[in-house]
Amino acid sequence: MPDGQSTIAAHAEVLRRDAQALTACTERLRAIEAALEAAGAAPPWLRAAVHAHCAACVTAAADLRTAVRHLLEYAEQAGR
Amino acid sequence: MSSGADPADAVADEDDDPADATVSTGAVPPDAAVNGGDVPTGGPTGAAANDGEDPAGSLRAAARELVDIAILIQDAAAHTTAALTDTALLRALPHASATGRPAYRALLRAATNRHGLGYALTGTHTPTGPTPATLTTAATTPVALTGSTSSAVFGVLATLAGKVGAMLGGESLAVRVLATSLRLRVAAVAVDHPELSEDPLVVRLIEAAAADRDLEAVRALRALLKDRGAVRALSLLAPVFGEVLALRALLDENPLNDATAWLIATGRGFATADPFTGMSNRAVALLDLGEGGARRVEPTPAESARLSTRGSLLGVLGNIGTIGTTGRALIQSVEGPDGVIRHILQAPGMRVGHPDGRSPQDLLGAFSSAVLDSSPYSRALAQAVADYGLPPDAELALVGHSAGGAAIMNLAQDPGFCARHRVTHAIAVGAPVDFKRPADPRTWVASVTNQHDLIPTLDGQGAGSCFDLHPGWYVVDYTDSTHLFPLCHGIEHYLANLADDLPEARAHIDERLKPFHGPVVRSQAYLLFDRPPDPEEFPFLTVPTRPVETAGATADLPIRCRDGSALTAYFAARPGVAARLLKGSGLAPLLVAGRALVGVHAAWNRRSSAGGHRELQIGIVVSGPGRRSAWSGRRGLFRRAELRRSGDFLLGSAVDTPMARELGPRLWGGETYLTALDVRVGVRRGAGPGVRSALVVADGIFTMEGRLGPGLPMSDPGSVGYAGDAGALLRSSVRARGSARLHPAPPMRLSVEPRSPHPLARRLRELGVDGARPLLCLSAATRQSIRDAAVPVPPA
Repeated sequence: MPDGQSTIAAHAEVLRRDAQALTACTERLRAIEAALEAAGAAPPWLRAAVHAHCAACVTAAADLRTAVRHLLEYAEQAGR
Repeated sequence: MSSGADPADAVADEDDDPADATVSTGAVPPDAAVNGGDVPTGGPTGAAANDGEDPAGSLRAAARELVDIAILIQDAAAHTTAALTDTALLRALPHASATGRPAYRALLRAATNRHGLGYALTGTHTPTGPTPATLTTAATTPVALTGSTSSAVFGVLATLAGKVGAMLGGESLAVRVLATSLRLRVAAVAVDHPELSEDPLVVRLIEAAAADRDLEAVRALRALLKDRGAVRALSLLAPVFGEVLALRALLDENPLNDATAWLIATGRGFATADPFTGMSNRAVALLDLGEGGARRVEPTPAESARLSTRGSLLGVLGNIGTIGTTGRALIQSVEGPDGVIRHILQAPGMRVGHPDGRSPQDLLGAFSSAVLDSSPYSRALAQAVADYGLPPDAELALVGHSAGGAAIMNLAQDPGFCARHRVTHAIAVGAPVDFKRPADPRTWVASVTNQHDLIPTLDGQGAGSCFDLHPGWYVVDYTDSTHLFPLCHGIEHYLANLADDLPEARAHIDERLKPFHGPVVRSQAYLLFDRPPDPEEFPFLTVPTRPVETAGATADLPIRCRDGSALTAYFAARPGVAARLLKGSGLAPLLVAGRALVGVHAAWNRRSSAGGHRELQIGIVVSGPGRRSAWSGRRGLFRRAELRRSGDFLLGSAVDTPMARELGPRLWGGETYLTALDVRVGVRRGAGPGVRSALVVADGIFTMEGRLGPGLPMSDPGSVGYAGDAGALLRSSVRARGSARLHPAPPMRLSVEPRSPHPLARRLRELGVDGARPLLCLSAATRQSIRDAAVPVPPA
């Protein structure tokens, strides 16, 4: 199943990039909060919201990395 | 503008004017923007104008950044779903089940982990328009790598699963981030509108919407409406209307409105559906059908007197106010300072009332103009422009208010229209035009909106928008102290704001309109239609005519009335007097319970071939020439005029124009008096629906006034009259087209003018009708009619 192998590997590659982007999102979210705090414009609810989003991004990135690992194993076995 | 340049090119050349660079981002009069508060201000709509410079700008920039992050997260969700639903993976499973099953488990967990991506199953195929999933980059989407039909089917199933998940309350991380973006937009608006954060009821509503507490949101809205009233509540919410709706739509359990919420929140397109129900806006707009039509009409003398005689922003907006929401538009030609004749199309907003299937300026027309790229309203405007006859390459400025603003922007974005005409300016006032784009890049676009006006936010973008949707436009988005919708939507209110409160914005727009500053040399109003109307007199009034000479002028017979109303009232009268008055005519009175009947017929022929005039005839009801039974005579009273034998033997008549008086003897015989008449038939203002009333005043003769009461609908049968003429009997008739109502025993009364010596007043007293109530009335509020000359009745 060489076709299946390449397709599965392609999915894994896309999700790997998504996991990286989600990790970067946590930095972007913290930067947003910091910028608004510095400008004195941060609403009182923002900190909790940003923290919740950051935690979710970290978890989502971990989920995706796990999926990538399994997909790569799946692709390898499918190619044999 | 470079010296020596063709003045006609001035507008296009000025696009490079550095002065415009500031305003093109959406910033409005800088001084006003600094003032804030209740002083008319230019609240920034384009984030680029203020990013990082003030709290509102920082909040908008942050909201925009969060939109990017939400889209990125949604991409990841779509990619995960795509992997899950790819049949290529499924086909490999039998060959590698040991590693395939854990891979599927991991993908499923990634797509449904509420601590991670949330409930993130999402497909790539939706029939209702763009969804978050379609925001993904196709080149990087594995679905594109495989692209099989089976994968597409699985994609649809994933979409379905996503919607079911939404119905069950499953939220994705992308939605939560987008909701935070919307809340930051609300916070940004609150900087310029402190009432949003200070009013506890508004705060309660926004918080409930943002927290997905449905019941609490409904209670908060109810409390707001109860405490402030609908007008004030809507006005308070107007600046953040789009954001609150999008928040609700994102977080509620209705999956049908999610696409609209995403469009509003990401600023990527027009709100394609009602954010509450998810009903497609385009489906509603498609009810508005028609290729558009326009017919030349003359404004009333009072309107003509108020139309501006010079081209200017305030003059044009004043014109729009003058012609009003009456289904009309105006085109004017002005001679510019350089002697060049230029043209201005002026389009008012929606006319009040139910959709009528006739005018494109109705509610449906407003909706379709805003939602669609072309609508009956814009097509009707194009027809008006075509009829007006612009020279090739003539410069045309388009100015519209409300629905008219959306309609003129539809014209501006029509490549065909812009190929035929050189659209130099498009100015929309109080209109939802954020997602319109002019076809000709040289067209200078200005949008003027009051932040408390709900109408411009109907496309989903209002004061809270964090996107610079049209960097080349001049945007004036301001607030004033009125805060009341719909008052702040009126053209008069915008006119007053631009005249008194926004001098810099007005001056800037007027500066751009400079080539149009000059005397008006031609002015033409148009009545607009969904479809080109039939010729006005076709088919009923399309009859052969012949000229007849009168002392004053030539008239055509028969007299054709395009629009009129009529009332006939039947009274019980003294039979002896009636018989005496009929003596020698060969006719006998039609008796009812031993009483004769007197018919009082009054009509107002508003638009007739003999000019607008009113007429009055008084006669004794007769069964007609020949021996007829009383029963057949009574039954025949309401047959169509051309087939009717019974009618009114004329005792006298009156009209209110000299021409009608001169024609009277030809039309119905006998002497006709000239006197002031007032005839009104219709729904009385303030009365209930369908409650008709009538007023007939014949100066110095009588007054008949009162409610007509309930009526039986019927076709207007017209009327028949007889008159004696030198021993002969003349028969006249009015053929009518329209609906009428038959009112039994209406609660109205006829009062003869006390001590009036007028012959008709004496006749009515003689017959015992003074102070009487009619037995029966026949009313027609709107009708067409044909009245030809009376003809002698052939001897038996």
